[in-house]
Amino acid sequence: MREKLIESLAESADRDAVSWLRNTISNLSATFEKRPFYYSFSGVSRRFDKSAKIKGADDSPFNGWDEYRAARVALLLFLGEQEKTIFLETFFSVLNTADIREQIALFSALQWMPHQDELIEAAVDGLRTNIVDIFDAIALDNPFPQMHFTDEAWNQMMLKAIFMTRPLHRIHGVAKRKNQPLAEAISDLAHERWAADRVITPEAWRSVAGYLDKRHSDDIRKVAGSENPNDHAAASLVVSESGESLIDLQKSLAKELALIDSGNLTWNSLGQSMEEQLVHESLT
Amino acid sequence: MRFFDSHVHMVSRTTDDYQRMAAAGVAAIIEPSFWQGQPRTEPGTFKDYFNSLIGFERFRASQFGIKHYCTIGLNPKEANNEKLAEAVLEMMPLYICKEGVVGIGEIGYDDQTKAEEKYLIKQAELALEADLPIQIHTPHRDKKKGTIRTMDVLEDVGIEPSKVIIDHNNEETVKEVLDRGYWTAFTIYPHTKLGNERMVELMLEYGAENIVVDSAADWGISDPLAVPKTAALMKQRGISEEQIEQVTYHNPLKAYGQSGQVEESDWEDSKGIDPTELFEGNTLLRGGMDVDTAMSQYLIE
Repeated sequence: MREKLIESLAESADRDAVSWLRNTISNLSATFEKRPFYYSFSGVSRRFDKSAKIKGADDSPFNGWDEYRAARVALLLFLGEQEKTIFLETFFSVLNTADIREQIALFSALQWMPHQDELIEAAVDGLRTNIVDIFDAIALDNPFPQMHFTDEAWNQMMLKAIFMTRPLHRIHGVAKRKNQPLAEAISDLAHERWAADRVITPEAWRSVAGYLDKRHSDDIRKVAGSENPNDHAAASLVVSESGESLIDLQKSLAKELALIDSGNLTWNSLGQSMEEQLVHESLT
Repeated sequence: MRFFDSHVHMVSRTTDDYQRMAAAGVAAIIEPSFWQGQPRTEPGTFKDYFNSLIGFERFRASQFGIKHYCTIGLNPKEANNEKLAEAVLEMMPLYICKEGVVGIGEIGYDDQTKAEEKYLIKQAELALEADLPIQIHTPHRDKKKGTIRTMDVLEDVGIEPSKVIIDHNNEETVKEVLDRGYWTAFTIYPHTKLGNERMVELMLEYGAENIVVDSAADWGISDPLAVPKTAALMKQRGISEEQIEQVTYHNPLKAYGQSGQVEESDWEDSKGIDPTELFEGNTLLRGGMDVDTAMSQYLIE
């Protein structure tokens, strides 16, 4: 994993910077000391380019990372090979003094770190941030929350992700970890938003499907009547997962339901297309 | 004109100040670690303070289009609490190589005690180890002796004068500091330090080479616009634009640029606000201010 990451980095990063990274790791393997590790971890910014993105294989988890993140995660993968006390002390020293980009690297690396039980609280606490990129490093494209969070922590993360309009399809376990209290909380949030004449991300309803009572069914009828085509798609996906309970919507959503039947509309494809629309809007 | 104020304590200032600074042309600033008006009693408070310098304060400045850098250090007053001082020195390696940390500072003497000297030396050694410039605070009392002693101590450690910015100079210290090859900074601070008319006189006598002008605005009666206001006064008194730019922009950039952590392209190329620095996708930015309102009174006495 570490070698693969460094190889991807080496494809585009400055050659001297990459040999500095390799030498640093090899020197630290001979004798591990905290201070040189601190200097190297933060000193990544003296050698690499934060605006350059690395390209791994298409399915690689680090595809699209900037060089700072990649080089720092490589150092953390090395740190993870150290003895438990040294690992935990160093990891927390670095985390408790990290700047924004360092926090992004630390949280992205959680999924490959040892002694994960001891890191759960840090991840839950990290989600209290108001900085979008730090939130994303924990919540998106990261299996750690799905593997370790209690329902309570999971639900807090989901609600905040909905609140901040993050792309929910990139949350690992979004389908598996849904639960009744989360469905209730999402419905409450939707009602608050509607009372304020605001909208809620269509992806939110993915966590409500499967828990349809009378109130939730009415929510879905409201979503189906929205002017936003993404809402229609979301309502149709809920209908397709709900057997007989929303049969009255089948006619008005016939077009979307046909797309679902033919495999051309899924929660993931909806999430992806919404993300693309957002990028497109920000460019125009 | 654009300015680089290399000494200003923004954690003590308001968003109004940021607006006025941006309107007056302050493009970049350095926030030195310093004493917060009353002694800290726990090392943990230093950690949170350093975290704010590399975190929220940097973000806050960016919302007004101002690029924020900092220096990390244990100030001389608090060096006298040795238990605290040791713990802060332990912590400093976690910060000094971070992005945007342009030096070790502000360090030096206050009462000129043995403990102050011990931690001045230790921090100078850290600067050597991390290859960083040093920002020196010279004492308010017994300034001339303290300034000379600081330079002697730094040279004993093996520090190059060209990597040191000695701050809070006055008519009594300027000659020796310049002669020994140090960056010589002047703090325009009403009442207690130096008014800007005296600064104009100093420029007329010593020129612009190796001279830096800053505000050191903090929690006291001070002026975050001291640099642009002094530039305006210099212009009125006939100092050339080239020299004004040198002391209010190019010299501090060159001195702290030795860290490799600050260069002009950081703000000249930046297109508006860095999205990585947005909080909840929002900014704190509120309507701008025109330069005349910001600069209405530029004489600092």
